[in-house]
Amino acid sequence: MKITFPHAGNMYVPIKVLLETIGICYVMPPLCNKRTLEYGSTHSPEFICLPFKIILGDFIHGIQNGADTVLFCGGLGQCRLGYYGDLQTEILKSVGHNVKFICIDLTFMTVKEIVEKIKPLTEGKSLGKIIKAIACAIWTVFRVDKLYRLASYTRCREVVKGYTDNTMKEFHTRVQNAKGYKAIIKEINRAMRTLKTLKIDKKAKPLKVAIVGEFYVALEPSANLDVEKKLGNMGVEVHNTLSVSHWIMEHFIKRNLPVKSKNTPHEAGKEYMRTDDIGGHGLETVGNAVLCGRSGYDGIIHLYPFTCMPEIIAQCTFNEIQNKYGIPIITLILDEMSGEAGYMTRVEAFIDILERKRETSKPVMDKKCGMNV
Amino acid sequence: MLTSVATASKVVYNKGCCISENLPVIGLPKGLFYYEHSILWESFFKILGFPVITSEDTNKEILDNGIIHCSNETCLPVKVFHGHVYSLKDKTDYIFIPRYTSIDKNEYTCPKFCGLPDMALLNLKNKIKVLEVKLHIDKDTGLTFESLKEIARILGVNYQDTIEAFQTAIELFHEKKQEISRVNCYNQVRDLKKRAVSVLGHPYVIYDSYLSMKLIKKLKEKDIDVYTPLNLDHKTKRHNAYPYQGKAFWEVGFENLGSAFTYAQDKNMNGIIYLSPFACGVDAFIIEFIERQFKDRYKVPFLKLTIDEHTGEAGFDTRVEAFLDMIG
Repeated sequence: MKITFPHAGNMYVPIKVLLETIGICYVMPPLCNKRTLEYGSTHSPEFICLPFKIILGDFIHGIQNGADTVLFCGGLGQCRLGYYGDLQTEILKSVGHNVKFICIDLTFMTVKEIVEKIKPLTEGKSLGKIIKAIACAIWTVFRVDKLYRLASYTRCREVVKGYTDNTMKEFHTRVQNAKGYKAIIKEINRAMRTLKTLKIDKKAKPLKVAIVGEFYVALEPSANLDVEKKLGNMGVEVHNTLSVSHWIMEHFIKRNLPVKSKNTPHEAGKEYMRTDDIGGHGLETVGNAVLCGRSGYDGIIHLYPFTCMPEIIAQCTFNEIQNKYGIPIITLILDEMSGEAGYMTRVEAFIDILERKRETSKPVMDKKCGMNV
Repeated sequence: MLTSVATASKVVYNKGCCISENLPVIGLPKGLFYYEHSILWESFFKILGFPVITSEDTNKEILDNGIIHCSNETCLPVKVFHGHVYSLKDKTDYIFIPRYTSIDKNEYTCPKFCGLPDMALLNLKNKIKVLEVKLHIDKDTGLTFESLKEIARILGVNYQDTIEAFQTAIELFHEKKQEISRVNCYNQVRDLKKRAVSVLGHPYVIYDSYLSMKLIKKLKEKDIDVYTPLNLDHKTKRHNAYPYQGKAFWEVGFENLGSAFTYAQDKNMNGIIYLSPFACGVDAFIIEFIERQFKDRYKVPFLKLTIDEHTGEAGFDTRVEAFLDMIG
């Protein structure tokens, strides 16, 4: 039995750790490229969201390379993500790939549930080993996300441009070839050390921009035209409010803890949406936008795939948020036909606006300083 | 006890009484939830004794106002709904917009229903006052009662009365629903001299004659028997809703998947038309399942029509006519 899994940004690193620690045979599809999208959109319905198409492309890539089982997530609710698996099974069957789907339910995720779901894969392996693998994978998630945060900190401040990108590129190549938890953690630490020794301009005060929106396109560089990297190289510090580690914290760790705590973005989002759930990451988007508005960001970039239902609702709160917190928000809607140049023009224009805004508000700040002196 | 309340309030409902000048007027927009649940909410407020105004049928002005007040990406039915809310803005004190999250066990709604009251408030710049009832039956019915409490507080009526009115309205609603399904009951297409076509889609698209470009009327004028999801009973639709029998899915998905596969099994059904608003996320799934199943298992002709605010009626008609010619 050989399994394959979809990509979502840097998610493949912890999944690699999980599968290798347990000792499951797997095929990793190549990092998302043009072919993936082509495979995916050929067989998908027209108005399905972009993640569906890319994920389907990943599966086809994986199956072509010899996989016979697919590891994926499912659930219920309003967002279409919960129903992906059913339709993808159907589509893969009609293309002639008869594969087994293992869907981990995201709605009520517990350790027990995961162990049970991946049972067919783990026959003959001890429970202790599986739980150790899950723990290792979760620890890796936090480490990788920390590395990404560090990279977005250094990218906009580095003295020699391109150094961070090179380090991250090297990290991705090396981590794909590394085997096992220890080797992967070693690679992460290595990349971190390199980034920490980079020469950076400590006096620089780059524009601070937050990314909010739909989980998958915010994380997957091939879906969002690598906007995070491009902004960084324009000298903008990017904070991605969505990360796998945050997601695991909210949906897995906090849920399994006996003490219940509140989801901060949800609470903030209730200022505009007086409900617990509008499907997907809709409420998080609203909440994160409010939180960023409160905490002194220069601007917000909202990303979502075309026809994403929860984000369309979230989008209608942005007029109010912009007015109330005085923070500019730009919405970029992504689909498989993304013309990169058009998007970059809009992003550049947005950054120009933010720079102008900062310049015009500067004299006021100087005056304040002067008064203090 | 409740049945006696039901009969008593039916009298009230039929009379449509208690219109006093000082009472706040409740507006009921004729969009989205209205086509399925109008009886429920109309009788709820009438039993409580408040005058209810329903907006006009969808027309050009309503559509235009909806388009102005919504973002581009919003789907057509939601835009039209905003138009209805806007048209009620000056005529009423409160506009009633329920918040449906799940309307049965394992049956969810489109996310736009979950955010509808907030969306209307934000898009119309807080110029309206909204009354909302939350329905999240899959998770917690307590939410519904909490929101009823809130309504009782806003309208200044007794909480117990509100609950009673709600329960009576629900009974009335179920009674009417059974009556409708008794009248329209479908077993199989009987009249073989006539052609039979089934029209599927969201209730707020196919029954809204402006959005559907009078599709049902046009078909009937051509002497065709028209069947919609309304003609089937709840159980049959759930039973045939491949591949979601017994699983969680959208409510509208159950309705349409179930209807599509039930009608497709009927040899005398000449064709099936699916009316879908442009870029509908839910339909992307439903139609794909239907098309794939039809290709493999059933031999029934299938036409998918997409509508949006730009639709030219002539082009729409041509396609329907071509389809009708094809099915003979």
